[in-house]
Amino acid sequence: MSVELSIQNLTAGYGAQIVLRNLSLDVESGTLTALIGPNGHGKSTLLRAISGLVTIAAGQILLAGTRIDRYRPDAIVARGIVHVPQGDLLFPDMTVLENLRMGSYLPAAARLERQRLEEVFTLLPKLRDRQQQTASTLSGGERRMVGIGRGLMTSGRILMLDEPSLGLAPIIIDQIYEVVDTLRRSGRTVILVEENAVRAADIADEIHLLDHGGIAWGGTGAELSGRPELLETYLGA
Amino acid sequence: MDVSLQILASGLTLGAMYAISTAGLALVFGAMKMLNMSHGAILALGGYLSYFALTGLGLPAPVGITFAVLVCAAVGVVIYHIVARPMLQSDNFETRIFIATIGVGVILESIILEAFGPQPKPQPVSVPGSLMWGGVYLPYQNLMILGVAVLIMAALGFALQKTRIGRAIRATAQNRDAAQLMGVRIGGVYALVLAISGGLAAVSGITISSLSSLLPNMGADPMLKAFIICVVAGLGSVPGSVIAALFIGVFEAVVQYIFGVRFSFALLLILVILVLIWRPHGVFGRVQGVRL
Ligand SMILES: Nc1ncnc2c1ncn2[C@@H]1O[C@H](COP(=O)(O)OP(=O)(O)OP(=O)(O)O)[C@@H](O)[C@H]1O
Ligand SMILES: [Mg+2]
Repeated sequence: MSVELSIQNLTAGYGAQIVLRNLSLDVESGTLTALIGPNGHGKSTLLRAISGLVTIAAGQILLAGTRIDRYRPDAIVARGIVHVPQGDLLFPDMTVLENLRMGSYLPAAARLERQRLEEVFTLLPKLRDRQQQTASTLSGGERRMVGIGRGLMTSGRILMLDEPSLGLAPIIIDQIYEVVDTLRRSGRTVILVEENAVRAADIADEIHLLDHGGIAWGGTGAELSGRPELLETYLGA
Repeated sequence: MDVSLQILASGLTLGAMYAISTAGLALVFGAMKMLNMSHGAILALGGYLSYFALTGLGLPAPVGITFAVLVCAAVGVVIYHIVARPMLQSDNFETRIFIATIGVGVILESIILEAFGPQPKPQPVSVPGSLMWGGVYLPYQNLMILGVAVLIMAALGFALQKTRIGRAIRATAQNRDAAQLMGVRIGGVYALVLAISGGLAAVSGITISSLSSLLPNMGADPMLKAFIICVVAGLGSVPGSVIAALFIGVFEAVVQYIFGVRFSFALLLILVILVLIWRPHGVFGRVQGVRL
């Protein structure tokens, strides 16, 4: 296995407020890496820095050995890093289908649009019946599925999912996790931000605990299960 | 009967002119939360450029109009790069760009004043003749303005709904971050909407001055009306602003006929206040976000 995404000594934040301090993290190709950690400690900011929405102050981000940290967000997507953001960020006045089709906006993805659409509908069958519904009228679970489906329409090799289970009923969470599992088995590299450490430990190849803008601990799910004091200290679980 | 049709006809012409200038303002606000206060000055610039091309350079009307539209579109792009882009990331972009574009408007108006002087100038673009139809007097000039407005609105609507770049504009308007995550280069979208808006301002400046005359500050009134129409429609709603523009044009024509010109603006403002009491976010607006 090889390191696909490498984050080295990353410092980033919003204006004068520094959120990530000197953070380093390697993600290996074809693995599922979970990021856990308390609220407001920079998990989403890390994903936003990777996808170029947050300008970094220091450090570097390498994709397969190439520096991408000065690229615009559209150039980063074009290189195959897909970010399904926290809170879905759908296009509210577009239909489900239009939202999905925005995922294949870039030419490389547009060529495969029909095929991808079929794949998304197979993976998330509910969306097939909802194609013509306006996004702003969807339920929370449906919205999440559109957000994930829209991400899958892109030509991404690396998929970053920010809290895909947030605010959903357990039965919907199970469905979402089935999808995540399918994606992982399809050989993609997945970076998953998850509140629920038990869920994360269950599915991830590697888990990293993000605290105060740095990686406080890293290991496998099994290792995390053997360290209950970690969860207690950092997550109050 | 004849009178009411006559009022309707002139109201629709007025509304069509409002629609052209308002659509540009709404497009820019919808896509980038930028209230372009220099819109009126760009509109005047468009009118003067057409005058300059036709009267000064002796160019044929289609060439002169195209020239004015292209230059005003370029002015929009320049405003993006020099004024808007440096402050896009700042916290109070909406306030800053509002104030900055007032400055841009003053600069443009001063340039016009310096170049063409304060005296009114005639707009050479005109279609002579008229038509009597069912007792209604319809100058070809007005019919042309209506036709141009319908064409432009249809083209704009089609482009926004059906083309790839139109989808990018709508996506940017509805969620800037998400649009970027889909691969939309929003800098390009912003430059483009300002260019379209500049071109539309030129068309509106030419049509408005063809019915009256050119004055350096001729953009102030249409700009104010465009702003009022945007607020009534709900800021950023392009189809909504077109409907509101037509409605307000007819409203103004009716009020002018019944109460006289001096009441039209006061009654327009009363109408706006009533609409905003009824729907605080505009007729087509929503509590959050904007429509495009
Ligand atoms: N756009 C922004 N402008 C300023 N500060 C921000 C912005 N977005 C996030 N922050 C701040 O950055 C810090 C880290 O936020 P971030 O969203 O990365 O946390 P998180 O770990 O994802 O939290 P959660 O688990 O609640 O999603 C927080 O203090 C937050 O208030
Ligand atoms: Mg978060």
